Amino acid sequence: MTIMQDIKFYDCRVIEGSSTSIILDNGKIEEISRNFTRGAGVRALCGGSWGYTSVEGEIDLKQGVEAASKLAFSMNASTPKEDVELAAVNPPEVKNLPEVRIDPRDISIEEKVDLLKNIETNAKVKGINSTKVMYLESEFKVEYRSSDGIECAYELMNVGFAVSAVASENGVYQAGRESRFGYGYELFKKENVLELAGKAGNTAIELLKAKTPKGGEMPVILDQELAGVFAHEAVGHASEADLVLEGDSILENRIGEQIASPLITIIDDPTLHEFGYYPFDAEGAKSKRTEIIKNGVFNSYLHSRETAAKLGGTPGNCRAQGYSMPVVRMSNTFIDNGDARLEEMLEEIKDGMYLIGSRGGQVNTGEGIFQFNAEKGYLIKNGELTELVRDVSLSGKTLEILNHVVLVGNDLKMTAGRCGKAGQLVPVSDGSPHLSISKALVGGA
Amino acid sequence: MYELARKALRLAEKAGAEEAEIYYAANHSTSVNFRKDALENAKDRFSEGIGIRAIVNGAVGFASTNSAAQIDDAVEVAVSEARIRESDPDWVGLPSNEKYPTVSGIFDKKVETLELEACIEHALTLIEGTKEVPGTLPTSGGFTRAKSKQLILNTNGIEIEEESTAVSGFVDVITVNGQTSTAYDFGISRSLDIDFFALGKNAADLALKSSDGIKIEPQKTDVIFHPFAFSDIIEEALAPSFDADNVQKGRSGLIDKLGEELAVPELSIYDDGLIEAGIETSTSDDEGVPSQRTTLIGKGVLETYLYDSYTAGKSGVMSTGNSSRSSYTSPPAVGLRNVIVDYPQTDVIADTQSGIFVNTIIGAHTANSISGDFSVEARNAFTIKDGALDKPIKSLMISGNAFEILKQITGAGFDVRKVGGIITPSIRVSDMSVIG
Repeated sequence: MTIMQDIKFYDCRVIEGSSTSIILDNGKIEEISRNFTRGAGVRALCGGSWGYTSVEGEIDLKQGVEAASKLAFSMNASTPKEDVELAAVNPPEVKNLPEVRIDPRDISIEEKVDLLKNIETNAKVKGINSTKVMYLESEFKVEYRSSDGIECAYELMNVGFAVSAVASENGVYQAGRESRFGYGYELFKKENVLELAGKAGNTAIELLKAKTPKGGEMPVILDQELAGVFAHEAVGHASEADLVLEGDSILENRIGEQIASPLITIIDDPTLHEFGYYPFDAEGAKSKRTEIIKNGVFNSYLHSRETAAKLGGTPGNCRAQGYSMPVVRMSNTFIDNGDARLEEMLEEIKDGMYLIGSRGGQVNTGEGIFQFNAEKGYLIKNGELTELVRDVSLSGKTLEILNHVVLVGNDLKMTAGRCGKAGQLVPVSDGSPHLSISKALVGGA
Repeated sequence: MYELARKALRLAEKAGAEEAEIYYAANHSTSVNFRKDALENAKDRFSEGIGIRAIVNGAVGFASTNSAAQIDDAVEVAVSEARIRESDPDWVGLPSNEKYPTVSGIFDKKVETLELEACIEHALTLIEGTKEVPGTLPTSGGFTRAKSKQLILNTNGIEIEEESTAVSGFVDVITVNGQTSTAYDFGISRSLDIDFFALGKNAADLALKSSDGIKIEPQKTDVIFHPFAFSDIIEEALAPSFDADNVQKGRSGLIDKLGEELAVPELSIYDDGLIEAGIETSTSDDEGVPSQRTTLIGKGVLETYLYDSYTAGKSGVMSTGNSSRSSYTSPPAVGLRNVIVDYPQTDVIADTQSGIFVNTIIGAHTANSISGDFSVEARNAFTIKDGALDKPIKSLMISGNAFEILKQITGAGFDVRKVGGIITPSIRVSDMSVIG
């Protein structure tokens, strides 16, 4: 086949797995569903163009490679451009996978349903009029093979749950949510899930009484979850090298520059046994720890093989959801511990707002601006937490916030979640200790 | 797999299902994507699978697979899950065969047979459009064409098969000089009637016009939401409350509000599965109930919620044809069809003395979907002075409530746009709270 002479690289990922979800809604099992999947994604590189084919069900890999090669060849023929180079990777060793003590497949559906019912009962504190509990379990096997001789595989199993509780009063509705994800059914013993459920219920009730504050610029303290979201959304995404190459990152050409308060160190580490763990990425590159920001100095982008070759760096952050085409992604991303205590922060800030938890947010990496909604907040008056507030959001410029950090806590905590990019969701975790920030824009009524 | 759907239905009955349903979906898409102004990759994606609902003694089990070898297992699992569950007193039954409407414009042979070379052409046209505006560069974007096939079979005699096509283009642009600003544009359609050159040019134009933004004082003012921004608010802050499932479970801001004046009398909102060439148009919904047009808000009054057959059975009403699935891997749930926002149209910017025009928003998904409260960051926003767009605004937060907005609408533009399934003009809302 003549096309194949021009294909300088190809690789395949075959994924096989199954998942179970159970949803308990207002005391009733709303859904038990089980899904079996098998499929593959194949990439081929011709000159400066990639071809990609994904197939579900029965797979003929040879045919897949040919189809992807044909796409790459046609693209390169119609719009030839500079060749894509790929940074070298060594065959990864797969070891030290997260331990699973209790295989969720050994637990009967009935027992899982009972657990959910218990969680729900605990979330239904007085005043809660609606609850929902979701259980998710998935196991999958990834096999990777490339034309440069790398062959590797691993199996992983995830379990987790999410609970939400809604309270209403005089036409006002407020929700509280909690979730935990991890490896092995022992998660439900390790985490105090019933207490978490109660917390979700209490949050909803509390928020009913909370006021919406007046917005404006003020000093703020962020809790670990919200600060973690900031680290991931505002800094992490801007450090993804594919966005940098698109010209869509404020961190372009900033390596070596002091971009943040010297108190700030931000790390991405897929080797940690948090929810963003993987032994090797979707290009067969061994996972490794990356210091994105070190003592306020911008230190490294996150790379795929292609971006590492182009910008100089180490691959290991290329990931995909299922059989989608891999892109540069984060794993477990966090702001490293400092030495301040929350009490100190409150004392120093005097008047401002304490923002807690996250209801998501969005970022424009090109302009370096972001907006996050907190779950709730407290007004800080004279160093004391006073009134509870809701519907509060934090927005501003990423680099300004990074420079306005005046204290970094010593209480790092990680939160599991899923991150969306290029239409793909992958498991990640993010975290931080408490942060005290001298000036930020808080949105309210 | 397609050939195995009928066999799977028989297997489910044999395994003890009193009722059963097979949902088969296949999709083939081709996309050509660019980074900066160079084509980067072409992707071909084939997906195909079936989802099985099995009902035993009024309890539903669900399983899905994309592997022909696993169909028998999946059917067994669905039936045994149904056996584990307690009987659901609210379960009435799977829908039955009915008379179906004819819909048009959802399949285009030209899209089905579009070659890679033509896809490349369309992607290049998006890039060329951006080049019309010096001082800007595309960051990413692409062209996609897709063909889908769906088959719904159930033991009440439903057997509906439908094919559809779609094309879409997307482009993200950044300015190269001075203060950085970005903008995007996209279009989606059932056939090749999108002006890709114009999409590229519009995005580049908007990015350039948005640079060197000013700071504005916090205030309450008239805000005109472009269809992109308004559809985001509808989808995230308003639509979940129309969902009968949310209403029945106490998670809707519209409980006990049927017949109430919810909006200004000039406003009507329809849910419509039948409109010509709509992105959410099809003969039936995703469990085989005939598609229909439903008045959600008629002249300001809330007329109905949206139902699938389960929630309809629970409330003792008819399904509105709103059963929806994101994929064969998930059981059906209530979802929107095409949503049409109808308000008397004028040259709405020209009619506005002073205010703010907002092209897009970020953060709409953080809205409180029950209370309707939202707080979002406005992008590509401009001040309006004497009936014309005046200066770009650098950064702007808008807070409000989706239900209150319905009572504060004072105008709509001529610029109706299909934003996926939501079809709306620009909408002017008075007295919005903004922080610059």
